[in-house]
Amino acid sequence: MIQKTYTLGNKLGIHARPAAELVKLAGAYESKVTIVAGEKRADAKSLLMVMSLGAKMGQIIELTVEGPDEADAMQAFDTLIGNNFNEA
Amino acid sequence: MVGIVIVSHSEQIAEGIKTLAAQMAGANQKIVAAGGMTDGSIGTDAIRISEAVATADSGDGVLVLVDLGSAIISTETAFEFLEPEVAARVVIADAPIVEGAISAAVQASIGATLAEVKAAAEMAKAMQKL
Repeated sequence: MIQKTYTLGNKLGIHARPAAELVKLAGAYESKVTIVAGEKRADAKSLLMVMSLGAKMGQIIELTVEGPDEADAMQAFDTLIGNNFNEA
Repeated sequence: MVGIVIVSHSEQIAEGIKTLAAQMAGANQKIVAAGGMTDGSIGTDAIRISEAVATADSGDGVLVLVDLGSAIISTETAFEFLEPEVAARVVIADAPIVEGAISAAVQASIGATLAEVKAAAEMAKAMQKL
C-alpha cells in the first residue's frame, strides 16, 4: 500500500474534467485507488464519487493505492496531479 | 467495451450529451445519439434507437440513457427489433440523462462491465450538486 498527500494546485480543483482524468488513469491499473478529501472518501474508479468530493484548489487530498501495480500507478498519479491535471 | 446510446426527444439534446460525454470519456468510447424523429421533429423513433443500439454494440453490451415518457416505450420497442443475442445484452439506465451518460461513458471507457456501467449511471440519481 502506498499513500501520498497532495495540495491541489489547479484553479477549479477536481471538477468534472480532472475527475474524469483521475478515473481513467485509475481504471488503467489493477490496484484499488482511494482518494480522501476532508471527511469524504471516494473510489477513484467512480467518476461521480470523485466529483462528489468537491475538492477545491488549495485543499489537501490523500491518495491511497493498493495492489500488484501500485508503484506504477502511484507514479502515474504523481505526474497527473503534479501537472495540475494538465490545466492552469 | 460497453457502448452507450442516448435517447432524447430532441436530436440536439442527444447530440449535445454525446459530445459532452465523449469529451469526458475520450474518443475511443462508443457513444451513439438517437434523438428526435428522422424529419428533425421532436419525438422518439424505435427504428432509429434500434439502429443506434446495433451500432453501439461491440459484443460487451449497450447501456441506453433515456429522457422522458415515450423515450422509454420507444426504447423497449426498439429492443424487439434487435437480433435476440444483441437484445439480451442491452439495458435501460434508470438515471438522469446528462449526468448518467457522462458517468456511464467514463466507466465504460475504463473497461467496466455492463452491470458496472449501469450502476455508475444510476449513481447519478443520488448525487448532490450543492
